[in-house]
Amino acid sequence: MRLLLAGAVVAAIAWPVGAAADCGEALPAASRVRIAHGATTLVFAPRPAPLAIGRHFALDVVVCAAAGGSPRTLARVDADMPAHRHGMNYRPTIRALGGEHYAVDGLMFHMPGRWRFMFDLGSGADLVRLMHEVDVE
Amino acid sequence: MSLSARWRRIGAAVLCAVIGAVAAPSVAADAALLDFTPDEVRRILQHGPWPPPSAHDAGNARAADPQAIDLGRRLFFDRRLSVDGTMSCASCHAPAQAFADGRARSLGRVALDRNAPSLWNAVHERWYGWDGAADSIWSQSIRPLLDAREMAGSAAHVATAVAGDRELACRYTRAFGRDPATNDPERTLVDAAKAIGAFVGTLVSGRTPFDAFRDALASGDRQAAARYPLDAQRGLRLFVGRGRCTTCHVGPMFTHGEFGDIGLPFFVRPGEVDPGRHGGILALRASAFNLLSRHSDAAGGDATLKTRHIEPQHRNFGEFKVPSLRNVAETAPYMHDGQLATLDAVLGHYVDLNLDRLHADGEQILQPLRIDAGERADMVAFLKTLSDRQARGWQAPAETPCRIEATSGAQGQKGAASSLVRR
Repeated sequence: MRLLLAGAVVAAIAWPVGAAADCGEALPAASRVRIAHGATTLVFAPRPAPLAIGRHFALDVVVCAAAGGSPRTLARVDADMPAHRHGMNYRPTIRALGGEHYAVDGLMFHMPGRWRFMFDLGSGADLVRLMHEVDVE
Repeated sequence: MSLSARWRRIGAAVLCAVIGAVAAPSVAADAALLDFTPDEVRRILQHGPWPPPSAHDAGNARAADPQAIDLGRRLFFDRRLSVDGTMSCASCHAPAQAFADGRARSLGRVALDRNAPSLWNAVHERWYGWDGAADSIWSQSIRPLLDAREMAGSAAHVATAVAGDRELACRYTRAFGRDPATNDPERTLVDAAKAIGAFVGTLVSGRTPFDAFRDALASGDRQAAARYPLDAQRGLRLFVGRGRCTTCHVGPMFTHGEFGDIGLPFFVRPGEVDPGRHGGILALRASAFNLLSRHSDAAGGDATLKTRHIEPQHRNFGEFKVPSLRNVAETAPYMHDGQLATLDAVLGHYVDLNLDRLHADGEQILQPLRIDAGERADMVAFLKTLSDRQARGWQAPAETPCRIEATSGAQGQKGAASSLVRR
């Protein structure tokens, strides 16, 4: 699976970003995950939570920019199992809900183990990919 | 040694034997239970509880209707649904064969390409057919009804069969509130399939020796757990541990319900490849009876998520459905074309796995199974404990003649169709 496009930057898991500290605060605290890279912060929460094997789920996603900036558009969401080198059997779809908010439908993790979320923000030379790994049993 | 010392030694030995005999039951029970680690116990518990919460055939508004189930049971065994009256659903899904047929490849009007899967617990599956070309039991039921290689019927033929038999027509009217004689034939075909889907949805197998063991572990009842055979315990330990079988054979159904490539040959005959899951997705999307079709009662929502979001991928070539392992010992031979005759042969396939034969794009899920002959026997012993003793013993309930009575009183008699009373 191709992971990087020209100009894309990969970010690892989460550390707090002061400028967008309140990003995604409305998402359920117990299940939300915050990912940041530079001026971009993405917060997501699965629905339903917690994640379970063999059950379709959605993601509620909020994408924030540092103060004064415009958040990148959520362009694509996918997931794979790096150890197994395969992805999901389903293609998720993104619904823009206005402003910074998105709903991503149709995901399923069909195997237990470590899955990796991939969120592509922006496009072309401005593309940024944020990733987050999660163990699901 | 003096005589008194000898008698003291004998007495002590007898005393120890008595103490040992009294203590023996708990000691023996604990000794008959492997020392499963907390992680092993956690993985074992994930294979239950059984039975799972009830489920119903997707997109089928009649799935829980006793009238539809009753009709569906009759239709399932009725050979008149086939063009020449020689085949019924039960021809390939025979109760005495655990709702399979015991053949490597099934026999329709001609020799078919695939093994008939058992229908036990079908309602808990996500996709139907080895290629997952159907997303509901009722839509899967339509395929063999119409396939020229199988029952070779048509909507008109099925409609005539239902309308032309008093009991079937009565049961149809009782279930669907319509007269099959005046129905659009395709409507009757779909209704008949939904009735069959409702019946098949009731086929949920019972508890097994594994389930008793699993629940005993969950409740901490070591004595009960120790009744589970030791060889099965050892096999189970391999299954959830070193064998990594739970990567695909996960959960109470012992399957993740999706598809996998395990390096099996997928030629149907020289020069012809079984496209497996890839072909199944294409067939699903083209089907006039999928959950997104006008015949579906799903009307959007969670039931249609799988069909809306499924996407064919190159790696789907060579993938076939990961079957449930419940009752697996009752449904030989194995794999999509029955090419493996025994459970031992299945394990042998994984032992001798040729990674170069894996078709998928660089997937790294499987590794050859490193087990010796004794461990192989233990795994077979474990798999045998996944059988419901009644898996081959399903019996149809007694039936009474169908009656339809008109309503009377406050509602009056508004006409035959609207005055039907379901019994």
